[in-house]
Amino acid sequence: MKKSIPVTVTTVLLSLTLAGTGGAGENSQHGGEIIFTKPVRSVQFSHKAHVEQKGLTCDMCHAGTFEMQALKAQEKPDFTMESLYQGKYCGACHNGTMAFASNTRCASCHSGVKGSNVAQSH
Amino acid sequence: MFTKMKLDNLKNEGVENVTMKERRDFLKMGLAITGIFAGGTILSAVSSMNKVFASSEEFASKYPYKPHYSMVIHQDRCIDCERCVEACAATNSVPHEAYRTRILEKDVPDAIGQKREFIPVLCNQCNLPQCTRVCPTKATYKNPKNGIVMMDIAKCIGCLTCQESCPYNARYFNEEKKAVDKCNFCFDTRLSKGEQLTGCAAACPAKCRIFGDLSDQGSDVYKTVHQIEKAVWVLRPEAGTKPNVFYTKG
Repeated sequence: MKKSIPVTVTTVLLSLTLAGTGGAGENSQHGGEIIFTKPVRSVQFSHKAHVEQKGLTCDMCHAGTFEMQALKAQEKPDFTMESLYQGKYCGACHNGTMAFASNTRCASCHSGVKGSNVAQSH
Repeated sequence: MFTKMKLDNLKNEGVENVTMKERRDFLKMGLAITGIFAGGTILSAVSSMNKVFASSEEFASKYPYKPHYSMVIHQDRCIDCERCVEACAATNSVPHEAYRTRILEKDVPDAIGQKREFIPVLCNQCNLPQCTRVCPTKATYKNPKNGIVMMDIAKCIGCLTCQESCPYNARYFNEEKKAVDKCNFCFDTRLSKGEQLTGCAAACPAKCRIFGDLSDQGSDVYKTVHQIEKAVWVLRPEAGTKPNVFYTKG
């Protein structure tokens, strides 16, 4: 293949490195970086961004919306964008009122095959 | 006192005298140089964002092919799940190390909101392709009916001149075929068998790739390319090849 256009993965790498080091203080007890690979590769969920930066507490999501066990949600057949639009899973907050709507800013959460490849190499 | 210059009376000295670097610098700012005046001291430029090349000028009223196959890519819908890439490889026997279509990633860490976007790329099936012009054996040619840039692998001598000339990096040498291979909108594998969509468009879960006939006023591609409310653009317009793959958002 001639002159391949380099794929920029620096930001993803950087954010993963930061997540790996963990945060200081009482909020450091969280699930870190979660990479969903179903039904599409892949979706990145950052506990750091949601807990440390946005100040969410565990029970805001883990009292019904998501189970405590990581990646349990993606085993369920209704873990789809359609469910999100109906207010399930991420859509409980990402509805355009509390946080940006699930049908906008796709690549904010969807990190793609490239994203999951980067995650695997760490 | 300087005499006031009458801009209307200035003669356009020709954009061919502007260096490629200069043009590229302007394109990065979203401007295409349209003229050079007064010994190069004045440049005129227009926005390069809203230009729809295949539907301008002679192509606006009458598309040269029937059907005039085209693809509109809603760039912001792409999530890099690469189902299109997988479908393409399976449909057209593309080897693992090569591609007919792929997804580029662009990161803008300082952006507000979304900081990353994915850009699907493939052969642009240009109206004025450079590859067919440079091919010494006519192994690659523009299909006179539907405008798809095709390969006659029996004629290909593997000189790779077409690959060098392609502004979209859309060609690779297929070791098995012993010929250059490229996207042909799945003509042999799907369209000629009655399928309406290319493999990639059919596999996309996000309605990112819209495929259709640009000469059909009822088609989604026609409706997207011919509206003026949302910007539609092509990649590397400066290559002047009048691509039939368009990009938009929303």
